[in-house]
Amino acid sequence: MDNILSILVFFPAVAGLLGFVVDKESARAYGITVTMITFLLSLWLWFSFDTANAGMQFVEMIPLIPDMGISYYLGVDGISLFIILMTTLMTLVGMVSMGETKNIKNMIITLLFLEMTMLGVFVALDAIIFYLFWELSLVPMLYIIGAWGGPLRIYASIKFFLYTFTGSLIMLVGMLFVAYLYHSLTGVWSFSITDWYALVLPVDYQLWLFAAFFIGFAIKVPMFPFHTWIPYAHGQAPTIGSVILAAVLLKMGTYGFVRFSLPMFPDASVMAITPIAVLSLIMVIYTAMIAYAQKDIKQVIAYSSVSHMGIIMLGLFAMNAEGLSGSVFQMLSHGIVSGALFMLVGMIYERRQTKLMSEFGGLAAVMPKFAIIFGIMLMASVGLPLTIGFVGEFLVLLGFYQVSPMMTILAGTSIILGSVYMLRVMKFTFFGPLDKEENKKLKDLNTRETWSLIPLVAIVIWLGVYPKPVLGPIDNSVNALLVFMDEKAITKEAKDMIKVPKSVKEAK
Amino acid sequence: MENLVYIALFAPFVGSLFAALFGMSERKIFVGIIGSALIGLSFLASAILAYNLYTTGTVVQVRMMDWISAGDLNVGFGFVIDQISVTMMTVVTLVSTIVHIYAIGYMDHDKSFNRFFSYLSAFVFSMMILVMSDNFLGLFIGWEGVGVCSWLLVGFWYHKPDQKREDNPSISPSWAANEAFIMNRIADLGMLIGIFILYWNTGSLQYDVVFAQLPYLSDSVLMWAAIALFIGAMGKSAQFPLHTWLTDAMEGPTPVSALIHAATMVTAGVFLVIRANPLYSMEAVAGVSFFIASLGTFVAFYAASMALVERDLKRIIAYSTLSQLGYMFAAAGLGAYWIALFHLAAHAFFKALLFLGGGNVMHAMHDELDLFKMGGLRKKMRGTWIYMTIASIALAGLPFFAGFYSKDAIIETAFNEGTYVLWGILVLTAGMTAFYSFRQVFLSFHGEERYKALGFDPHEMYKFVLVAMSPLAILAMITGLFMNQYKAFIYKIGESVQYEMSDHTHHLAVWLILLVVFIALSGIALAYFKYARTGEHAFKPDEKTANGFFYKLLINQYYVPVFYENFITKPYMMISEMLWTKVDLKIVDATVDNIARFFYNTGDKTRRMETGNLSNYLNWMALGAVILLVVAAISAMLV
Amino acid sequence: MIGLSHYLVVSAILFSIGLVGVLRRRNLLMLFFATEIMLNAVNIAFAAISHYYNDLTGQMFAFFIIAVAASEVAVGLGILIVLYKKHGSLDLDDLATMRG
Repeated sequence: MDNILSILVFFPAVAGLLGFVVDKESARAYGITVTMITFLLSLWLWFSFDTANAGMQFVEMIPLIPDMGISYYLGVDGISLFIILMTTLMTLVGMVSMGETKNIKNMIITLLFLEMTMLGVFVALDAIIFYLFWELSLVPMLYIIGAWGGPLRIYASIKFFLYTFTGSLIMLVGMLFVAYLYHSLTGVWSFSITDWYALVLPVDYQLWLFAAFFIGFAIKVPMFPFHTWIPYAHGQAPTIGSVILAAVLLKMGTYGFVRFSLPMFPDASVMAITPIAVLSLIMVIYTAMIAYAQKDIKQVIAYSSVSHMGIIMLGLFAMNAEGLSGSVFQMLSHGIVSGALFMLVGMIYERRQTKLMSEFGGLAAVMPKFAIIFGIMLMASVGLPLTIGFVGEFLVLLGFYQVSPMMTILAGTSIILGSVYMLRVMKFTFFGPLDKEENKKLKDLNTRETWSLIPLVAIVIWLGVYPKPVLGPIDNSVNALLVFMDEKAITKEAKDMIKVPKSVKEAK
Repeated sequence: MENLVYIALFAPFVGSLFAALFGMSERKIFVGIIGSALIGLSFLASAILAYNLYTTGTVVQVRMMDWISAGDLNVGFGFVIDQISVTMMTVVTLVSTIVHIYAIGYMDHDKSFNRFFSYLSAFVFSMMILVMSDNFLGLFIGWEGVGVCSWLLVGFWYHKPDQKREDNPSISPSWAANEAFIMNRIADLGMLIGIFILYWNTGSLQYDVVFAQLPYLSDSVLMWAAIALFIGAMGKSAQFPLHTWLTDAMEGPTPVSALIHAATMVTAGVFLVIRANPLYSMEAVAGVSFFIASLGTFVAFYAASMALVERDLKRIIAYSTLSQLGYMFAAAGLGAYWIALFHLAAHAFFKALLFLGGGNVMHAMHDELDLFKMGGLRKKMRGTWIYMTIASIALAGLPFFAGFYSKDAIIETAFNEGTYVLWGILVLTAGMTAFYSFRQVFLSFHGEERYKALGFDPHEMYKFVLVAMSPLAILAMITGLFMNQYKAFIYKIGESVQYEMSDHTHHLAVWLILLVVFIALSGIALAYFKYARTGEHAFKPDEKTANGFFYKLLINQYYVPVFYENFITKPYMMISEMLWTKVDLKIVDATVDNIARFFYNTGDKTRRMETGNLSNYLNWMALGAVILLVVAAISAMLV
Repeated sequence: MIGLSHYLVVSAILFSIGLVGVLRRRNLLMLFFATEIMLNAVNIAFAAISHYYNDLTGQMFAFFIIAVAASEVAVGLGILIVLYKKHGSLDLDDLATMRG
């Protein structure tokens, strides 16, 4: 299977088209089967992935517009591989756990298209293809929020769409300018990202381009102060929408930084460390405090996910292998944990039609399974050792300590503030007396719900105890990225700041 | 040997998983029995390892597997069995075994019996990781693991509602559990920073590698590492100002208080300082070490003072734990690491005994904890009375009981180091300790039978529980006799843990001991006259003392919890609310919306131009053309 | 002697007359005439300038414009007839169906 990546990307879309002729009753089974096959394909991708090779693998290249250097160019490395796996996994799990009954067939077709666009973003190595999938991913999400959302769904979906779309347009201008520069320097047109890597740009150009890309990615992450679309999007989106949004769509922003900003503009990235770190710290602390003030469980998790994205951003700009690897690992961990938490909130919402903490209390007595799984995910979210959440958070903080101890202490408050708001949710939802009549009759998780959550619990613990199979390839690609950035950087400050691990240096 | 290490470590884990299998079903007695047996197995393995180490002196080090490796960092699950860890292992597993057996009786009527054993065994597993690990990150796993188990166990009776602080100072089990977890997290941040400092300066987290590098590090690095690690220790060992969680943690079931909040988890901070003794004995961190000793002394006194007036049986014991932890830190800070460790072990035995005895009383009194409602219980509960008295004697430090040797050695150390202020405070605290521990014994077991008027019908605990407690009682009596053997055993680690009194102190030792014993005895005598007599001298709670300034200050824990609530918790909530409603919604989000609204309004206004009338359009077109012409003309003129 | 400027003045006057017609007239047919006047004003300018520079391109262009204008009138008048049949009027104020 030479073109495994194309199959992986387009299989869900083709299956989605065929989905129109599937009978309404069997739509769910169809959706689960398709996402299952996609997930197995991505697993196969992992097994045939050469972990010793830090470069791009499974590369596919078909010129589309040769005169403009635009080609259908795909490939994966250790960084994107696991994000792809997480995408297929979360789509599958989300599909299994989905409690939606209204227009189920349309929902499944939309999800399959969404899966295609998400996978496309993570495998694209051509800027135009990347941009195409990037923008296309907005459409199914717009549809999911707008068609299945809560009372404010139109406002929320339009805000989501326009906000992120504005950012990506600025990014597109940046991309066109890079292509123009490439043309004026080499005389040929190319939109291939790997070609762009070779481009050594003067610092002022780097800064402007970095800013253009930054706006596109930062809105997606979402970084403070561009985060306000996310409470609305999560608040109004159906459960499956929130799961995919938090688990995968947000990662597109941070992935963009790794794929474009860092290798293409190393000097500008180093110069941007302080401002970005300040924004990230605001994200970490400010949104954690806002999460504490929320009355709606889903909003707590929405804000907490912004707070955790702050940690990821911090790690990306640590400029050392510990921080970067930790950051990429944290993307996976955040995807799984926040996805699971959104699923859990969705399950309780289906039972009680409310997400307000004040409506609950003492649920542990009637829903013990639910409480246990929520507890495990909570602990992973606050970064307890031996859960997936610790590895990434620890590495990020460790890595950033080398950049600035003071900022690391501030960022480290996330382990305190995180437990403050999460334990508050736990206390008001699950503990205390069971005094509301409506809650006394609540049913515990049913088989479908349990089995959609158990794989996530297993992964949370497995990767917490033994992260090596995932962390190893990530670290490999990250080391290669750092070596590349170090060689490419032109200013002395950047060369000093970018730390290639000693072991890698010696090996050279 | 390696197998024994794994058995010691994983037997509790297996027990926890086994109990978890039945977590949601009703009480199954065999869950408790198997759980206890597995912990006992772990104790056996630990004891063999200890014996082996004692006879051969070979330190066992095993590496199970890799954990996190990224960049230059490479940490694995590695375990080291040396004198320090083996002491902790034996103490932890021994107390755990007894507490497990005790809990079979104590939790008899609880419907979550199986869940309790699952948590309790999981705690032992975490504690074993903490003490056995051979690197700082492994220690941190255990560190956080015990924190979570403590959270689960303190909040075990999660269904209880929140109460007002005046009615119940701990508010509710779930509140106390969260308080404990969050306070520990504050300290954990310090510990993480310490780990970061050590990693970036030594390139490793393995104890031996790190310690070997210490002489090459700059003074400031050493100092900050020591401070950061000690902040971690302060949280887990509940040192001021992170101490309030420990007394509130008494909301948990009593076996939990005995195991976690007296014998094992809270001593983890002391263990950390002892473990990192090469760091704390560096010249550059002498200031930090002295601070540790001073803080320990302060906490010893501070906690003892609050215990003087407390009426709640378990909270008194909690304060005394706090106070004894202060003693341990005092010893560790002064460099007498082995004495601190010895006191840690001795304290684990008699304090667990005290707590379990307290649990018996609670069980008999149907969860009533107010000492003023008890009295004269010794007639009904002879066995418990004997145990509690033994434990209190050991705690008070009367001759030939465990506390006498270990605590006196600490007081002597303070004298030996020439820190006479610390010494004075520690001696005074010893008197207070004797007073409050016997106040508690006399109030519950002697004097008038006040419970009768309140309609209680106390009964003695099950026989097997009392038998299970006997090893603790014996150890509380005899541990001290092995002090010299233990000293020889632990001296093998190396120079950094060795500590000897000077000749001058040796010379005065007898007098010092006599002084301490005299003070302790006077404390006991005072308690006897005030609380133990019957008839016309019988103790009666009186209004006047209860309203005095000092009494109020002490019973309200120096108003520290109230201070925290009013100056930290509430403002935090207020600021959070404000950030959300005022800043996030009104400023950040409103700005975005206003930008969107501006475009929308502009469009809405200019829409009027679209009249649909061709003639109007043509007019606009002409106007546009004129404007363009003018602009072109002007720009042509300018150029 | 009549020079280039005279022609251009005539052309400008004609253009202005056409423009005023475009702006002020309400009847579509009159509008058409007005645009024709404007086109012819431009043609005059083209022809004059072409003569002045001795370059035939301008006159050629004028012919093109005449040809295009003729065909445009043909199509335009056809539309006008259809419109008149449909609405019974060619007054612009009555034809505002595209109001935004």
